[in-house]
Amino acid sequence: MPQCPPCHSSSSPAVTKGLLILWAVPSQGGRPLPPPTLQQIQALVRHMAEDAQELFTFYEENQHLAIHHLCRTNRPPEWLRGPVLGPGGLRELRGTMARMAQALQDITRHQRDLNPPGAEILRRLASTHLKVRGLLSNLDGLFPAPSPVPGHRPPASPTAPTKIFRQKLAGCQILWSYARFMAKLSARLEARSRREKRRSHRGPRPPTRS
Amino acid sequence: MMNHFIVLAVLLPLRTCYTTHSQQESTVFPVTYLNVSKELAFQRLLVEWDVGKSAHDAELAMSFEIQVRRTGETTTVWTEFHNVTLDKSGDPLHWMWDSDLPLECMSHSVRIRTKAEASKIWSEWSPWKTVLGLDTLNDSGPQIFPNEKIVEEGSDITLCCIGRKGHVIEEFSLYPAPHVFNHTNSQIGLLTLKNVAHQAVPHITVYCRESCTEEECYDHAVLFVGKPPNTPNDFSCETQDMRTVTCTWSQGGDTYLYGNHSPKYTLSEEFSQNPIPCTVTCSEQCSCSWDIGQQRIYNITMTVENPLGKKTAMDVFDVTHRIYPAAPFQLWEECRDTEITLYWKYQNKGFELFCQTEVVQPDGKVELHNSSDSHLHYASITLSGLQPYTEYTARVHCAAAQHFWRWSEWSEAQTIRTMEATPSGKLDIWREITQVQGGRNVTLFWKQAPGFRANGGSISYEVTWEKEEGGSKLERMSFSSACNSTRISIDNHSYRVSIMAKNDVNYSLPSVLIIPRGTEEELSGSELQEEQINGTDDGIFISWEPRHMYDSYIIDWCNFPTLQPCDLQWKRFRPNTSSALINSAAFVPGVRYNFHIYGSVGNRVSLLKKKTGYLRELPPLFDPKVEKVELTFNAVTLSWDSYPTNESQSGFVRGYHVYVSPIQEVCSLQGSKKHVLPDNSVLCKYTIENPEEKRYTVEHLLSNTKYKLAVKAYTGGGETPIVNFIYIDTPFNSNMLYLLVLLVIVPSLVAAICRWKLNWVKECCCPVIPSPNKSKVLSFKEFKNGSEKVLKISDCIPDMLAVDNKAETQELHPWSQLSSAPTEAKTDHNSSWIYPNENEERAFTHTPTHQTHTWFENFAYSSHFADESCPYQIPETLETGKPELSVVLYQPHYYFDIFNEDAASTPRETPGRKTSLRYISQTDVHCLGRRL
Repeated sequence: MPQCPPCHSSSSPAVTKGLLILWAVPSQGGRPLPPPTLQQIQALVRHMAEDAQELFTFYEENQHLAIHHLCRTNRPPEWLRGPVLGPGGLRELRGTMARMAQALQDITRHQRDLNPPGAEILRRLASTHLKVRGLLSNLDGLFPAPSPVPGHRPPASPTAPTKIFRQKLAGCQILWSYARFMAKLSARLEARSRREKRRSHRGPRPPTRS
Repeated sequence: MMNHFIVLAVLLPLRTCYTTHSQQESTVFPVTYLNVSKELAFQRLLVEWDVGKSAHDAELAMSFEIQVRRTGETTTVWTEFHNVTLDKSGDPLHWMWDSDLPLECMSHSVRIRTKAEASKIWSEWSPWKTVLGLDTLNDSGPQIFPNEKIVEEGSDITLCCIGRKGHVIEEFSLYPAPHVFNHTNSQIGLLTLKNVAHQAVPHITVYCRESCTEEECYDHAVLFVGKPPNTPNDFSCETQDMRTVTCTWSQGGDTYLYGNHSPKYTLSEEFSQNPIPCTVTCSEQCSCSWDIGQQRIYNITMTVENPLGKKTAMDVFDVTHRIYPAAPFQLWEECRDTEITLYWKYQNKGFELFCQTEVVQPDGKVELHNSSDSHLHYASITLSGLQPYTEYTARVHCAAAQHFWRWSEWSEAQTIRTMEATPSGKLDIWREITQVQGGRNVTLFWKQAPGFRANGGSISYEVTWEKEEGGSKLERMSFSSACNSTRISIDNHSYRVSIMAKNDVNYSLPSVLIIPRGTEEELSGSELQEEQINGTDDGIFISWEPRHMYDSYIIDWCNFPTLQPCDLQWKRFRPNTSSALINSAAFVPGVRYNFHIYGSVGNRVSLLKKKTGYLRELPPLFDPKVEKVELTFNAVTLSWDSYPTNESQSGFVRGYHVYVSPIQEVCSLQGSKKHVLPDNSVLCKYTIENPEEKRYTVEHLLSNTKYKLAVKAYTGGGETPIVNFIYIDTPFNSNMLYLLVLLVIVPSLVAAICRWKLNWVKECCCPVIPSPNKSKVLSFKEFKNGSEKVLKISDCIPDMLAVDNKAETQELHPWSQLSSAPTEAKTDHNSSWIYPNENEERAFTHTPTHQTHTWFENFAYSSHFADESCPYQIPETLETGKPELSVVLYQPHYYFDIFNEDAASTPRETPGRKTSLRYISQTDVHCLGRRL
């Protein structure tokens, strides 16, 4: 009789990521999923922050842009400058993520001219794009809003470069800024979570949405 | 006069020609107009110039020397001679030059000079005409040229980086860094790549930096290295339904150019001069489909193009000749026991199809059956000659019957089973007879013979038996398909056994076996000897003498002879067979298999031969156990009577080897051979070639020696390594002991006794003998002979015995003074003396008178010679020189020198000792004398 693989009592990071991504994919038809909790979004953001850093590192190396730290600009695009959690809280994050999803699509399109189908960079970009869409979907679940106008797309970057190198560099700089943004966001959410935990230890409070 | 005119007529044109020629030779047509422009897309200089109208009018053949120079370079980078015959149109002249350096990098100047072909004189050079490079501009930062250029693999390319005025190019490099020729002159950096190869990365990145670090000091560019597309050599078009044509081709190799730079495919039709309205899709293959309408003949050109090149492929065809039908579908069948009719559908079409049915037999053999359809929407084929109740797998494919192009895809495979039928063929049956009290137990075996077919799903077996001579009830038993044997008990009469197979349809033909009276040995008519046979790599070979009366032969054996049941096997052979190679997956080396060979005639069998053998003999499983060891000082006898030589052995025991350790590694034992062990030690090996001889004596051993022995049985497979030995110590040789006792211990004992009884021995062996010299007899002067005193016995034969009891007489016996014993005691002894006449014996009567000495004279000691040589010889003997006679007179049995043990010897040894024999005068040792 075949033996069953041993079961782990605690979930591994890979399992956690897989569950998060599965959960983050927007529901298609059937019964709508219940809205995610803040903790779930926090976990997803933490995972996305790690993923963003990995994507940037790979892109910088793969595109030979590590020289002179060309990508590590201190002037991120306006929509990634922050504050990461403004007065509107996570609600404001939707706009940033929508822009990021569009930026990732542009970067992927540029990279398709440079790489064979199925290249690693394309696979990673697609994966990150899926996570951004997942976070957007979660935010939509958390903060229900009127459906966007059909065909509405975020405006293209006013300084979209046309030269290939400029495109590569712009993409790299966006990924760098995105990685820093997500890292800050994750840190903020963690800090807020800790604060709320401390508060809850002091006394019960009605659940709130940010 | 006439001649004079003729001469003038000839000379005048000649002069005219000469004058014209001279003018042409000296005439130059300088460049009147020169314009230089650049075509950056192709990195090409376009030069336009003109010469005077007269040259055009004269339609001169002219040569132009064109030179190209770059900024900062003192020498021209290109010189070319361009020959043109001018025409009267007066159009300016053109020349192009492709630059290996991007024209943006530097300013390029061109100048031209001309020469009519007939002329020897070149015109003056035109002034340099310059097209400026970007190095002259004051841009916002450095610039790399070319940028985003697609370079064909294997070509050369030069790149430049133009710095701003007043700036120096400090860094100009590529990543990944191929081998480059780098030369930089302050404001312009140049990189030349030879034979560019595609790297593992999709593109090459170029960096340029001026001698500052601000962002405007950098520029970057990208370079693609790729290949032009391959010519699609498998471009082909076809139709499935005469409505849509699909062209397919393979993509060819990787061009390393992707996205917008990837190859683009376009199809066009030559007859209609229109592009084909189709969308190319590529996965494993590229394809493109479109509706054909009424057009039947096509000439399709497919063009594949990327930035590095363009290739085309063509296909001219008649659509009706390019029919590739869709695969047949919806197969169904009608079955009988040996026939299947298979039906299928296909998409209709409007053309006749030819179909092929593939039938896969149960054994994997494939048959193809062709058929043409006759129905509009379906087709069929009848497959006959099939086996009943057998599964076949069938599938169909079709092609255009009129113009074969290629087969369609196969339909889905259909598995079909034919109907059941009566079992065909007979069962192969056999038996094993065991005699029991009052009858026999017969085990019946059956199996499906090669020609037998069950032809049904549920098979069973029916066994019947009855007495052959009749008069008994027919016994019957049925068995399921899982059974292949049964045991029946019968009496000693002859029986007829029949076994049939049965399926849901009917019985097979019966297989019959006669069980005759008596045992097999009785039936064979003689007591059969078992013959030994040897196996081979392929099995065990068995042969027998064929006899004409038998219609078949059967060999039976047990696959597992030591088990019960032993898995009896049998095999039938044709009548004229005389040998067989028997093999079985169960056969293993080292197991003895017994084979019985039977002849069969009319369902009766007779045992012909018995054979026994091994697939391969192995060394014996165990060594003979030496049960008895008989040891003497020079031989050892070993016996191993209980060692078996039967079928329990893993080979036929052929004999034994007795191994004995030699002395000092040298095998000198008689009858043995040297045997070297793996550790290079040596043993002596004795071979016993009779397996029933289980006793062996190893002789010629040394006594009192340690030996190790081993007994090994050997078979056709050899013998096992020697591991265990028997250790023996040969005893001491007892003969030697006896000899030792005889030579050492007995004399020593005697000597000891002698010493212990010294006085007694002295008295026995050395009686006191008076010294003749002190005898008064010798005091007479007349007897003196020189210094010696001689008494002639003949002259003084005593005739009387005088008894003297004077004191003087006492003085003649010196021992009486030496002896501690009183004289009186001595006189108490009787003495008897031998007189010269041996026949005379005189008895002396003891005189018990005190101080009276009985005195007699011993002749043996009265002689001078006796004193010197042999005191036991009588004088006559000495005179005649025959000493052996002395034995008669006085012969001591042994002479012992008790002070020298080596001297102990018997009289037989005396001859050898004569030289060393030392006779000690009894008077000298002062112990001589004996009280008589």
